[in-house]
Amino acid sequence: MNTFQLLNGLTFAALLFVVASGFTLIFGLLRIVNLAHGALYLFGGYIGFAVATKTGSFVLGGLGAMAAIAAIGFVLDQGLLRFVRGNELRQVLLTLGFAFVLNDLALVIWGGDSFTVPIPQILRGGMRVLGVFYPTYRLFVLVTGIVVFAALWVLLNHTRLGALIRAGVDDAEMVEASGVNIRRVFLVTFLLGSALAGLGGLMGGAFLSLYPSADAEILVFSLAVVIIGGRGSLVGVGVGSLLVGLLNTLGQVMFPEFAYFVIFGPMAVLLAFRPLGLFGRAVSA
Amino acid sequence: MLEVRDLHSGYGEAHVVRGVSLDVGTAEIVAVLGRNGMGKTTLIRSIMGLTPPQIRSGSITWRGESLVGLRPHDIAARKIAIVPQGRRLFASLTVTEHLTMLKSARAKTGWTVERVFGIFPRLAERRHHRGGQLSGGERGMLAVGRALMVDPQLILMDEPSEGLAPVMVQHLEEIVLGLKREGLSILLVEQNLYSALAVADRVYVLETGQVVHQGDAATLTRQPELLFQHLGVQ
Repeated sequence: MNTFQLLNGLTFAALLFVVASGFTLIFGLLRIVNLAHGALYLFGGYIGFAVATKTGSFVLGGLGAMAAIAAIGFVLDQGLLRFVRGNELRQVLLTLGFAFVLNDLALVIWGGDSFTVPIPQILRGGMRVLGVFYPTYRLFVLVTGIVVFAALWVLLNHTRLGALIRAGVDDAEMVEASGVNIRRVFLVTFLLGSALAGLGGLMGGAFLSLYPSADAEILVFSLAVVIIGGRGSLVGVGVGSLLVGLLNTLGQVMFPEFAYFVIFGPMAVLLAFRPLGLFGRAVSA
Repeated sequence: MLEVRDLHSGYGEAHVVRGVSLDVGTAEIVAVLGRNGMGKTTLIRSIMGLTPPQIRSGSITWRGESLVGLRPHDIAARKIAIVPQGRRLFASLTVTEHLTMLKSARAKTGWTVERVFGIFPRLAERRHHRGGQLSGGERGMLAVGRALMVDPQLILMDEPSEGLAPVMVQHLEEIVLGLKREGLSILLVEQNLYSALAVADRVYVLETGQVVHQGDAATLTRQPELLFQHLGVQ
């Protein structure tokens, strides 16, 4: 793998991190495998694309995508998921159905063409890093991934909300019995996780482009990241994203026919020895 | 203050608590004794609003207001706290974070972090350690400290002496008696009979979900045949 491919792997990992961190927050705390997360990503990309094209501002596109997807997340959580709380199978099926609806809605609004979110002038072109000429925008994605990691790290480890989220991952019932309305913590987490999917959609929409079924691809990668890293672990998502991002690039370069196997083969082996993932912990009794 | 009347509660088909009635008065320590599987934990969970179990019938009244159907955090807001069986600390939270979940570390009213550290100096030394790194005694102290941060008037304690060294049990008994002197009420569920009798004012003995004996702790201490009959103790 040369430097250029390494950077490709790292920047893809950064995008995966943004999307999968939202996924793992929701999975870890609410115990919901949100199969609509990929659809939220894609829908966020479309909304970001629409806003960015209309206003000419990439930043507004990002804010619009995050706000809109957080709002859709609110509807999903408060309007639908609240009726099936505690029933995991129903929750998973409901999010899957929601994904179908969202994808069809996107198809109605934007059609089946492929779109690329316009990037601002300053991020166009390339620059020289580590001895290679590399697209500036992809470096921006890498930096954004690092910034999101740092922000989430501070939120989780140095704020009271973060402590409540971690406590909820450990034992949600005891958080309630300690006097905290855990459902409010759940809701904030769901909105945050959804907004991250929306942000990911905008970021990915500018270099992977947006098209029907892009949601399933990112969802599969996110699942792999979270399973490898361990449910609800921020560091786990970071490490999982790096592994999946780099393995994906490696696979595409060296064994294009087995690109998926290069990711999921090692994942299966890992799970055989660490069923909870690299940083996963059993629920405390 | 707390009145439980003809409470029936259970899990699915299992009807565990079968018509329990009990009272806890102001600044009173009431112990519920019984062997394993007699419904003690189910009773505590029902009072705290934790589900499962499901309450089937009967009433739980706290200062004239029904608690049945309220969510646990609403019950905590009415100044009832729980020290659950097995402590159930948060493995990824530091000692201080356990105490600041509900109110900020700078809060000045009621129980504060400093006040909890005052009665448990050991916790102050371990303030940056995580729940998963504490010893058995420290875990017990932190579970009590976490409950105190609710500013409770009633604490439900589920086997607080479980797994503690005798010297720690004694320390805990002193804490419990100290809280009583401050006007707190405590409903104590115990298998450790001697620890419970050392602090309790009144005692209920539970057998297969029913109260089979109630009375003063002092009287029960003087009736070894009763202890043997219900609790299998000589």
